[in-house]
Amino acid sequence: MAENSPARPIEMRDVFGQMLVQLGQEYSRMLVLDADLHTSSKAGYFKAAYPDRFIQVGIAEQNLFGISAGLALEGFIPFPCTFASFATRRALDQVAISICYPGLNVKIPGSYVGLPTSRAGTSHNCIEDIAIMRVLPNMRLADPGDNADMRAVMHAALEVDGPVYFRVARYTFPDLFGADHRFEWGKGKILRSGNDVTLFGTGMMTSFCMNAAGLLEKDGITAEVVHLASIKPIDRELIAASAGKTGCAVSAENASIIGGFGSAVAEVLAETSPVPLSRIGVRDRFVTSGGIGDLFRIHGMLPEDIARAAHVVLTQKIGRTT
Amino acid sequence: MASLSPEKLLELQEAAYQIRRLSIEMITFARWGHPGGSLSLADILAVLYFQCMNIDPQNPKAENRDRLILSKAHSSPALYAALAVKGFYPLQEIYTYCEPEGLEGHTDMTHTAGIESSGGPLGMGLSVAVGCAYGLRLKENPRSRVFCLLGDGELNEGNVWEAAMSAAHYHLDNLIAVVDYNKVMAKGFVWDLMNIEPLVDKWAAFGWDVLEADGHDLEALTATFYQARWIQPRGKPIVVIAHTVKGRGIEMAEFNYKWHTHAPDAGTADAMLRELSRRYGRPEQGYSKLGAEREKENFYGGE
Repeated sequence: MAENSPARPIEMRDVFGQMLVQLGQEYSRMLVLDADLHTSSKAGYFKAAYPDRFIQVGIAEQNLFGISAGLALEGFIPFPCTFASFATRRALDQVAISICYPGLNVKIPGSYVGLPTSRAGTSHNCIEDIAIMRVLPNMRLADPGDNADMRAVMHAALEVDGPVYFRVARYTFPDLFGADHRFEWGKGKILRSGNDVTLFGTGMMTSFCMNAAGLLEKDGITAEVVHLASIKPIDRELIAASAGKTGCAVSAENASIIGGFGSAVAEVLAETSPVPLSRIGVRDRFVTSGGIGDLFRIHGMLPEDIARAAHVVLTQKIGRTT
Repeated sequence: MASLSPEKLLELQEAAYQIRRLSIEMITFARWGHPGGSLSLADILAVLYFQCMNIDPQNPKAENRDRLILSKAHSSPALYAALAVKGFYPLQEIYTYCEPEGLEGHTDMTHTAGIESSGGPLGMGLSVAVGCAYGLRLKENPRSRVFCLLGDGELNEGNVWEAAMSAAHYHLDNLIAVVDYNKVMAKGFVWDLMNIEPLVDKWAAFGWDVLEADGHDLEALTATFYQARWIQPRGKPIVVIAHTVKGRGIEMAEFNYKWHTHAPDAGTADAMLRELSRRYGRPEQGYSKLGAEREKENFYGGE
């Protein structure tokens, strides 16, 4: 496909849409449901390929998830597609009780997550979804870091029987992984080894962690970068081992730090290997309209902010050991 | 076909009686539950499970079975009773109602054979039923029907009308919604708390075929469900508005919102069940666990 040419970087949402088509070929019971957003979410690729397996429910997200539960009861594998804001805030009861409680085989993509969304503002920039979905029993949760990771997460979503929520960021992010990349539930990956500080990243923020590690290197600090696309289950062993080795850590997520990925990392550290930790993400604020670069600056979520946080936890670590 | 033989009518009366009796037994023993909406639903469930629906307790997941989604999942005692009488699981299990590993307070499809969906929050079941009906059509199964039992108060929920709009849009004539229109909500009358009338016009305006029946007349219900299943389907979903009495069968609970959520004590249950047996013309039979009540837990003043 033309979109795959290296000359023209492809948006993560397009990878999502194209993967729906590819997986649809492999899984004949897979259905895609839409609540009037398929050209934005890119579920439209599936609509074009399999019009008979594409269900339009109109602008009714509670119904979107209820119908998905019923289709799963009948043995289908529904992908109810909408923005993360609506999948979480609008339809949480349906997701929790109709889908998660009986552990139904529904795969939920949350589109337009976090800051790199559009200028639509507070109502559409979803920062709560990690916290909300993480608390639901039976739910698996992933935030892929690049296009290869997105493809791998979607494969893995179908390899398990039960509800899955995965985040689909809108734009184009640097490649972290090669074409042979595989994703495993509950397994993180060390992208760069280091001894002084660990940078735990999820989703698109892992590439910012890589940039931050580059900045830290100039200051003579070796940072270990750990990518944790699987937020639930999370790789407790890797988190404890890496933080145990480096003695301090920064987490970075394209979402609220309250209850989200940073909280998940903090929970593991507190229970296994308590070390100074700083969490990068949205700090108890709504994310308003704005240019994407401006938003990352306003919310202190750029690579420079991650590097600065690393210096802070390094100072705390040294303060503890002297 | 729509009319009942005398033997069949007696069988349905017995089923309805047992559904009422066992609902009170399990609510009383559990010390928790919703008697009013269970009693109003008893005749509807008797006709569905013992006359209308194609189901096999020996093969509860048979592909060609009919599905029943209990959207008003707080009326689970009536459904558990119907399933027990039908033979889905041993009758004695009703005394595990609301216990850990027992019959869940609201419905849990992973735990009890014959329960088709998990629920509790009102307004959600019709969407699930729409998904089932749509899925059956995709599987080219023309025989199975999806029944969805709704309360009247839950029609206040917006999700119901999203589902109603979509069922008509998809022309799901394999979907039969049943409204247990007992006129009483948790804290008062429907027309006082939030009026749902004109109900027939509402469903019709949403694109449904609407049938009405006396929800306590076993012959009328049989005829209405027969029509809904075999005569009516013509490209539209069907709703049966069943006019019922909340708490039907026990005078103190009838038309009385105070018995929406309220477990009787053992003595009251004994009197209720004696009255019920008299009204059904049966030998007087009280509460089977009288004097053998489960010990009351007192955990910080709660149970």
